[in-house]
Amino acid sequence: MTAITSPTATVDPYAPGAPAPARRFLNHLNPLAKVGAVLPAMVLLIFVRDLATPLWFTAIAYALIVIGARLTARTAALLFLAVPLGVIAIGFGFSLWVDASGVDDTAPFLQIGGWTLFSGAVQIGFATALRLASILALALIGGLTTTGPDLVRAGIQHLRVPYRIGYTALAAYRFVPRFGYELSVIRAAHRVRGQHGGRGPFARIARGWGYIVPLLAGAIRHAERVALAMDARAFGAHPTRTERHLVPFRTRDVVFIVLFITASATIFALTFPWQL
Amino acid sequence: MPKTRVLTTRVLLICAAVGVATGLVSAGAGYLSVPVSAAVPVLYGLILGSHVLPGIVAQSLLRVPGVALVAHVLAALVSSAFAPAWVLRYIGTALLIGLIQEGITAIGRYRYWGLGRFMISAVIVGIILAVPIGLAVDLDRFEPWARVLYLVMFIVGPVAWTFIGARIGASLRRAGVATR
Amino acid sequence: MPLLRVRDLSLTHAGATHPSPSDVSFDVQPGEVVLVLGPSGSGKSTLTLALNGLIPQSVPADVAGTVEVRGRSTVDTPVAELSSDVAMVFQDPDAQLVTGTLLDEVAFALENLLLPVAEVLSRSEQALRRVGLWERRAWNPDRLSGGGRQRLAIACAVAMGSPLIVLDEPTANLDPQGIDDVYDALTDLVASGDRAVILVEHNLDAAMRFATRAIVLDQQGRLAFDGPVAEILREHTEELIAMGVWLPAATLAGRMLRERGVLDAETPLPLTPEELAGVVNGFGTLSERSETTRIERAEGGSKSSPMIVRSRNLSVKRGRAEVLHGIDLDISAGSLTAIVGANGAGKTTLIQALAGVVPPPRNRITIDGIDPGRASPRDLAARVGFVFQNPEHQFIAHTVFDELAHGLRLRGASDAEISDRVGEMLSRFGLEHKADVHPFLLSGGEKRRLSVGTALITRPAVLALDEPTFGQDRARADELLRLLKGLRSEGTTIVIVTHDLQLVADHTTHTVVLADGRVHAAGPTDELFATERLFETAGLRLPALHRALNPQLRGLLTETTR
Ligand SMILES: Nc1ncnc2c1ncn2[C@@H]1O[C@H](COP(=O)(O)OP(=O)(O)OP(=O)(O)O)[C@@H](O)[C@H]1O
Ligand SMILES: Nc1ncnc2c1ncn2[C@@H]1O[C@H](COP(=O)(O)OP(=O)(O)OP(=O)(O)O)[C@@H](O)[C@H]1O
Ligand SMILES: [Mg+2]
Ligand SMILES: [Mg+2]
Repeated sequence: MTAITSPTATVDPYAPGAPAPARRFLNHLNPLAKVGAVLPAMVLLIFVRDLATPLWFTAIAYALIVIGARLTARTAALLFLAVPLGVIAIGFGFSLWVDASGVDDTAPFLQIGGWTLFSGAVQIGFATALRLASILALALIGGLTTTGPDLVRAGIQHLRVPYRIGYTALAAYRFVPRFGYELSVIRAAHRVRGQHGGRGPFARIARGWGYIVPLLAGAIRHAERVALAMDARAFGAHPTRTERHLVPFRTRDVVFIVLFITASATIFALTFPWQL
Repeated sequence: MPKTRVLTTRVLLICAAVGVATGLVSAGAGYLSVPVSAAVPVLYGLILGSHVLPGIVAQSLLRVPGVALVAHVLAALVSSAFAPAWVLRYIGTALLIGLIQEGITAIGRYRYWGLGRFMISAVIVGIILAVPIGLAVDLDRFEPWARVLYLVMFIVGPVAWTFIGARIGASLRRAGVATR
Repeated sequence: MPLLRVRDLSLTHAGATHPSPSDVSFDVQPGEVVLVLGPSGSGKSTLTLALNGLIPQSVPADVAGTVEVRGRSTVDTPVAELSSDVAMVFQDPDAQLVTGTLLDEVAFALENLLLPVAEVLSRSEQALRRVGLWERRAWNPDRLSGGGRQRLAIACAVAMGSPLIVLDEPTANLDPQGIDDVYDALTDLVASGDRAVILVEHNLDAAMRFATRAIVLDQQGRLAFDGPVAEILREHTEELIAMGVWLPAATLAGRMLRERGVLDAETPLPLTPEELAGVVNGFGTLSERSETTRIERAEGGSKSSPMIVRSRNLSVKRGRAEVLHGIDLDISAGSLTAIVGANGAGKTTLIQALAGVVPPPRNRITIDGIDPGRASPRDLAARVGFVFQNPEHQFIAHTVFDELAHGLRLRGASDAEISDRVGEMLSRFGLEHKADVHPFLLSGGEKRRLSVGTALITRPAVLALDEPTFGQDRARADELLRLLKGLRSEGTTIVIVTHDLQLVADHTTHTVVLADGRVHAAGPTDELFATERLFETAGLRLPALHRALNPQLRGLLTETTR
């Protein structure tokens, strides 16, 4: 029936990560281990200015993902198409904004009329783009191999995230397809009222503004009903709750963290990317 | 006597609803961030500013301590399930912005919920976001005017989105939503 | 000690002036199945929330009097502790789901109660088996039908082992198949006699199967009657109707027969379709007379009115799949036409295409002289009004007045004209004193009237409504039908999509039956209902009354209910 069979979500956020073979080791690590291992490198990369360091980290991240995670067509497209294209676009994009007076002693890369793009600027642009790409690639190690519910459970079990907040998030996954559907109905409803008026970005923004209150009002009423149902089922009765799905933190997680941080330190030591 | 909580299940779930709905905006912002960074990086602040929404809408709607942080964390957890690649970005910005927004209202002992307070937190959010991102994109190498514009946008973005968020909260209150 | 003990209970919502329910006392013993009846707003839902302490612990309200569950007061025993004594099933199946699989869902409450894993699993298995969902324990609940999800909610209640299960309109949002599903599960549960059930329900036909007792609240929320269900329905029929409480369709039909002198006053009123069939079986001869009048009337209705909606070879795609295949359809001006069909038959797609909500292919449809495939939304809005299922979805403005004025302003009407026509509409729908109120602050019934008003303000010739009574209580549905009747008598053509075949039989002139994206049958409603097996072959089930009676007797019935 229209109101209750919200269209099946294309992504099922609860779907367990399909059982991965043991070889895909990233899928068998604790989500927090994957975050913790890459975090120091990600922070340090912000301060890096050379080309080699980000290249190294991107290579390691890609290698780990290709070996240790299952590659779907989508992730392959992300890794080998979207990211390289993004690097090229951002690399050139940023080089246009570089202060020419700092790099005018390098060879010209491109000349249009009186305006010159120096190769020094291009180098800076690409260093930035690669740096951003390497930070993203490190994030993907955990991102591509963790499901939402596992992350929430790991947070509850190891980081003392209050379970009431974690389970609220799990309940909220259910809102996403529902709100998407409601939004499409609201748009159709406003169109029927003759609220279509006008093209262009401003008319579009004005229209979008009109959707917000009905969408949020419906969303919040729904949330209030869900809250009653959860209270009626003893949600929050005790400071903890029985956990059937354990997300253990094992020796292999420690090993992964230690190895990754050692590797990071080695790279930083070898390239030594800061001009002290 | 049953214990009374500030963050009742109802408040938590309303924050979740706000987080999910504003998360739709963040998702859009996520898609825009690459083309904008490539074409006009100086405008990035306008895009990133949209991350203030969950907290501001929750605060101006509910006017209860803690909701800004909770709404941010829930929005981040939900978005992460749908775009796992951005987990760290979502959770990092959520904690950062959520704590700033909570902090500003906490300083007023949760007695003032006016636009002015929200704007103070918007400016602080802008400054604190601009520093690490400026480092990451090597802002020092930009043309001087571009550097200024970039930083200004990091203030204008959160301020503008905060204004929008507060308006949304006010409209909802006017429609009698979630007010008891 | 009774399971549940309610004494002098008055509940006043924060901000409300009067308590509802008001000064109510009753006890419930194990094994009882109590039906709670009362007009809309009498406080039935409020009462159910107080039974496990949600009022006042989660929903702020003033409580006077006491509610005790096995001797524990619900005011100061935490809801969580009470949950193992009182389980709740709410109206919206979607709003009770928290987790990602059926098994997790049933285990949710048990885990909150800190039961050991082994016990969580064994209890969950038992509960899921009991409602026949164990095989699907790994499914995402989204994959279940509405009825299936409501059965899951019942399983959650069963798993907690609560001796008292409270259900607030558990079938109001379901289609006929879903209603059957839920009642099968409930019948099962009740049969074992180990639990008490408190059931708030507007659809009494299904509940009559196993209810043992009825408690009736009046408009002010006071306890009007309390006693065995058959006795109350039979002995206080007139009072219940006056109160606006709904009765089983068979009882209403029996009462009409009694009014017309067909049934003598001594015979007790029938409560189920079977009883009605038993009572009416003696009157085979009468039905011939009504058969002839019925056919005459049907012909009179369709004689010469011009066609206002026409579709030829209409096919519509949604996504990649074709949902409607070559629909030919004519709807005559001034008719009230229902589009019916099983879930997924394409009803919504069809009515949205006809009204241009989703632009249909060109040159396939004419509606009041224009092609919705080409017309601008503005022209379309002037000719067709479309009313969505949830009125809030279509509200645009911040006051009721602006909401109504919107359509006129878009067409550039003068201020004088706007205030004239809006004023007229406000008084027609009884909203004069609400002109400056935010539309979201209206009551449910008022919102529905306003949404119809916004569709009518431009005086369209055709009004289309998608499942206008879905999830609404009977009183509101009835109000809407009276409204539609009035509009029709002024010449508006009305098209509705609905699942309620009783409504179709009682109120519409024409019916279109869709099956798998094709027109299965179309014509005057009376004729379709008189045709053997026509609805069954389209995957529908006739209303309980029709199923119990043969076609001849059915003719007599449509005659009487009109
Ligand atoms: N959250 C609330 N805040 C304030 N008043 C409320 C609230 N919920 C219900 N009411 C009011 O309390 C009264 C009883 O409402 P309740 O929902 O219990 O009626 P009901 O008998 O269940 O009606 P229905 O048959 O329509 O479901 C109504 O006047 C209603 O307007
Ligand atoms: N946007 C869409 N994309 C793909 N398929 C769709 C879309 N909308 C509807 N469908 C499919 O088209 C068919 C008809 O849908 P429609 O909503 O018209 O049915 P309905 O008769 O109104 O059903 P219900 O009784 O459930 O409201 C269904 O099989 C549905 O799954
Ligand atoms: Mg109710
Ligand atoms: Mg439909």
